[in-house]
Amino acid sequence: MKKTILLMAVAISSVAVFAQKKTTTSGTIAFDATTAIDALPKAENKTVIAAIDTKSGTVLFEALVKSFSFGNPMMQEHFNSPKWFDSDKDPKASFSGTITNLKEVNFKKDGIYKATVDGDLTLKGITNKVSTVATIEVKGKSVITTADFTVKLVDYKIGDAKGKLAGEPKITVSAVLN
Amino acid sequence: MVSENKKLSKSSIKKFLIAIAILVAIGIAAVWYIFTETFTDTAIEKAAFTVTAHLFIKEFETDLVKSNKKYTEQIITVNGRIDAIENADTTVNIKMADSTTGSYAIFAFQQKDMAKVKQLKEGDSVSIKGSCSGGAYSDILQMHFINFKRCAVN
Repeated sequence: MKKTILLMAVAISSVAVFAQKKTTTSGTIAFDATTAIDALPKAENKTVIAAIDTKSGTVLFEALVKSFSFGNPMMQEHFNSPKWFDSDKDPKASFSGTITNLKEVNFKKDGIYKATVDGDLTLKGITNKVSTVATIEVKGKSVITTADFTVKLVDYKIGDAKGKLAGEPKITVSAVLN
Repeated sequence: MVSENKKLSKSSIKKFLIAIAILVAIGIAAVWYIFTETFTDTAIEKAAFTVTAHLFIKEFETDLVKSNKKYTEQIITVNGRIDAIENADTTVNIKMADSTTGSYAIFAFQQKDMAKVKQLKEGDSVSIKGSCSGGAYSDILQMHFINFKRCAVN
């Protein structure tokens, strides 16, 4: 009897843990470093892994740098080169953060919420603090997130194009987590 | 004699200027080509490898470094069964997974193939050709994953 109760408790807690962790393997990150004189440094990665723990407010993203797809082959080569993201040496970009105003986001009720997310962004093996306001839409069992922010390439020792590309590219993150 | 030298000099200058103009034109054409070049349609690219999804994923699970050296940035045809079709912004990705470990290969498609992709269903057997972005171990999902970009349905 005790064994059955224990097994049931484990099963229920497993379901609860599973329900509070929403994931996707098809998140999208758009990278836009275009300027008035260079429209080429623009790419999208549509195979980003993302997870949100709705109970703790933990937000995680993980992306392969080589998965950023450019329209122009030369620009894609530059993006992956040692002076830029050095994807052979550091193949992954990642973000680990938390929703700081978790009380204002009700994951149990459909709606659109503004969430402040603070965390660590790691690019080219260098980690810096990032803070952004994300939009979280709760729709049934799905959580749809979008966020825009900029990163200072100099903080990650990226690029040497002498002003030809934006020093602070716009990063747009979107994901449908289930 | 002086007049002949002048003529020769004028003719040399003319030839020199024409050569410079040709070189400048070639240079401009080369720069224009590099900056406006786009990727070739993957559907007409020749695959360097043809693999089955299950064995391909196993290869990455067994030796990630060796597999990345072999397959990254290569055009590969992967044959397998669709385990999931996932929305990625306005497009969809196709996923083939190892049912025992959960490790997976995921394919993001070139825009011109999107209509074909949207007709596919989970469980369909499919042949996909794409540019392999390499594989890694996911710290979030605790499994291996292999990404593809600019894919086409064979």
